[in-house]
Amino acid sequence: MTRTYISRHPLEDLLPLEPGIRAVDHLDIPRAMAIAAVMAMDGEEAAVAAGLAASGDVQVRFTGPGEWLILSQSETPEELHRNLSLLLAETAYIVDQSDGRIVFRLSGPNVRRILAKGIASDLHPAVFEIGTSSNVLCGHISVNLARTGENEFELIVMRSFAVALFNDLRVMGREFDLSADFSAQG
Amino acid sequence: MASLIHCPHCGVRPKEEFSIRGDASLVRPDPEASDEAWNDYVHIRSNPRGRYREHWQHAAGCRRWLVVERDTFTHEVFSVADAASAAREAGR
Ligand SMILES: [Zn+2]
Repeated sequence: MTRTYISRHPLEDLLPLEPGIRAVDHLDIPRAMAIAAVMAMDGEEAAVAAGLAASGDVQVRFTGPGEWLILSQSETPEELHRNLSLLLAETAYIVDQSDGRIVFRLSGPNVRRILAKGIASDLHPAVFEIGTSSNVLCGHISVNLARTGENEFELIVMRSFAVALFNDLRVMGREFDLSADFSAQG
Repeated sequence: MASLIHCPHCGVRPKEEFSIRGDASLVRPDPEASDEAWNDYVHIRSNPRGRYREHWQHAAGCRRWLVVERDTFTHEVFSVADAASAAREAGR
């Protein structure tokens, strides 16, 4: 028997079809994003880091020594995988994670007060600078947290934890009337 | 319990992000070693009051194994090192 697999976002049933009223603190959820995990081969950590830093259009998130998550908004998962394979040939292992991870984009003036309810790490602007990324614990869920702007953070979570993290973020943001929607950019 | 651990890869983190395996000073015996040596290695642990070296895994962070040297009485943390580099330095 053949089956047709349809890509479905795990928050499909939890978010309204039409965009609602956007509050100052907002949770923006991209529907689709090309994501790849990169692990440097033994001894190639510095070479891979340099290659990724020069790769331009993709976003590089630190997950551990010699390990990164690579995000691309403009490429398909296949394109991202192919381009990374060409760039890092024979120096790193690359695994597609596009269906395995979900991205949350949290922004607004109260973003640190919202995150402080689940994350114990220091997110002061002078400590957690723009461009910083790291795996942290949010409540009981391990997420990759990145600061992408002055008051903007991105959380990447394993797909099976997306609904739980979404519910947590809603509760964390309720005090500030946090709104949530799928990203307009798709 | 020491509540803040300075991970060499991730920075200062709460202890909730880690899982603790135990004594980091044990050395695996030779495969041909006596049953007593293996019994000691697998089962026998001291429960020291004071300075202690343990394996901690940064499970919710970088997922690396670390060697944490801390005081079980005062909660003071003396050092945190990556376990792979610690093993390399010890010649293992
Ligand atoms: Zn760490």
